[in-house]
Amino acid sequence: MNDSVTASLALPGLLDGPGPRLADHLAAYGPLPPADAVEVAARAGLTGRGGAGFPTAVKLRSVAAAAGATHRTPVVIANAAEGEPAAAKDAVLLATAPHLVLDGLQLVAGSLGADTVVLAAPGRVLPALGAHLAARPDGPSVRLHRAADRFLAGEESALVSAVEGGEPLPRSKFPAIRERGVDGRPTLVANVETLARLALLARGDAGAAGRALVTRRVEIGRTPVTDVADVHLGARLGDVLRIDDDVPAVLVGGYHGTWLPAQVARDVRLGREDLADVGASLGAGVLAALPAGRCGLRETARVIGYLAAESAGQCGPCLNGLPRIAAALALLARPGRVDGGLIDDVSRWCGLVAGRGACRHPDGSVRLVASALHVFAGELARHRAGRCSATDARAFLPVPAVRA
Amino acid sequence: MTPTWIWYLNRATGIVALVLMTLTLVLGVVVQRQRRLPGLPRFGVVTLHRNVSLLSALLLVVHIVSAVIDSYVSISPLAVLLPFTSAWRPLPVGLGTLAVDLLVVIVVTSLLRGRIPVRLWRGIHWTSYALWPLAFVHGLTAGTDLGSGWALGIALACAGAAGVATALAWTGRDTNPADRAPAALAETTSALARGARVAVFRNR
Repeated sequence: MNDSVTASLALPGLLDGPGPRLADHLAAYGPLPPADAVEVAARAGLTGRGGAGFPTAVKLRSVAAAAGATHRTPVVIANAAEGEPAAAKDAVLLATAPHLVLDGLQLVAGSLGADTVVLAAPGRVLPALGAHLAARPDGPSVRLHRAADRFLAGEESALVSAVEGGEPLPRSKFPAIRERGVDGRPTLVANVETLARLALLARGDAGAAGRALVTRRVEIGRTPVTDVADVHLGARLGDVLRIDDDVPAVLVGGYHGTWLPAQVARDVRLGREDLADVGASLGAGVLAALPAGRCGLRETARVIGYLAAESAGQCGPCLNGLPRIAAALALLARPGRVDGGLIDDVSRWCGLVAGRGACRHPDGSVRLVASALHVFAGELARHRAGRCSATDARAFLPVPAVRA
Repeated sequence: MTPTWIWYLNRATGIVALVLMTLTLVLGVVVQRQRRLPGLPRFGVVTLHRNVSLLSALLLVVHIVSAVIDSYVSISPLAVLLPFTSAWRPLPVGLGTLAVDLLVVIVVTSLLRGRIPVRLWRGIHWTSYALWPLAFVHGLTAGTDLGSGWALGIALACAGAAGVATALAWTGRDTNPADRAPAALAETTSALARGARVAVFRNR
């Protein structure tokens, strides 16, 4: 145990390593020691960093069990298909410490006996990744997959479908991907940060499971600033994110996340249970402090408009529900008289779509709507009286143009 | 000699079955293209497709039984399932037999749809497009009095409808699923801007 403590003191974290080159990586972290990924993940209680926070050891065990039961070789997919426009942690991690991710991938693939190993990432980061792979002895065994530029591209089943050569659309979770994924084989889809943390844990950095990468977005001097930080899960949100006194609310978790009033956000800790107590979760790791002078309803309406257009269009509740919610929210986000029943309609529609899609896109989208209607209730009333507290019409949260 | 009404029954059920099978095919294409019929929700089109197909299968049972017991033509019970074994016009009757065999497989797999792999069901369901021409040629060639004209007219009208529906089905879906949501968003936004009600879901 003493060894691991000393080792953890000597090892740099995910983002303060020496840089992306293999020689520097080996000098700083040392070679990957032989280890069993399941044991490493179980001992540290590591949870997935793709958004759902599922225990990694449980996932690994069920893939291994499915492989044993079906006598089929499993597939491992490292997921860096970060479709969330506000998130940048996976891209930054791959640019800073690609070899930690690839070590984690190697560890997991070895422990599961996988013969197909895929790293899925947006097209813009692939050339650099190709060069890093070429430097490694296990490089040729990893297949790079170009992930689609869509919000849902990183959704587990959509990614599996794309890796199979199909459209990047989510599909039914029965049977689960970990039992029957790529070509019907047991498939592990793991976020790249989860894999990098496994690589640190295997080297004895016992604290790696207690930290998380977050993408922070704040406005400093009328300029939006985005950065990625490796933060402790026990930290106060107010210590991690710059929340100025005049900030009205903080978005926690990204576009499938939750708005929290600033006074609640400042003191909440980032642990899973602490965030759950205030109805939030770290999700994709996005923390954004809404600057003063911006209208939270207008920001939410723009995000929901984007999310509605990014629906895969497969499940009725999502296809019929999200565009209606988005269109209604766009009306409510502007000052002026609206049909009095519209807010009730939005609340009712939100209840009608949750839990009724092949994926969790509708659930996450209405979670954001519900928290906005709650946190910005005062603003909602102001809008209906024909006023808006916004003094700055510029958009704060990044939203790509809606596909025509 | 069996009475002549059996012959009439056989001919009538054959013609009506062809019309209903054509209707089934057209409805199947409406289902596949995810279109609606006036006054019917989408699941209503699916139910109609299924019920019309089952009705045509029922008519086929009457058609087959009457053909076997009719003494004017000599068709053994074996020839009902085994193609080209009929003493009466083996080739035309055999085509009808093939169609019946296909139909049995399609109906059985559709009734078991929830219990078999979807891909298996879909693969078998595509053979419907072979079933219809078999039944059509059987109808033109196995019958005893096509000459009067109106029966031929019905058959050709059915062929036209089936041809158009098939062409539509094989050209594929008209919208990519990923394009549906932006379209729905634009539609709803303009409806709300006009002050139209959007609380109703599409299936009303």
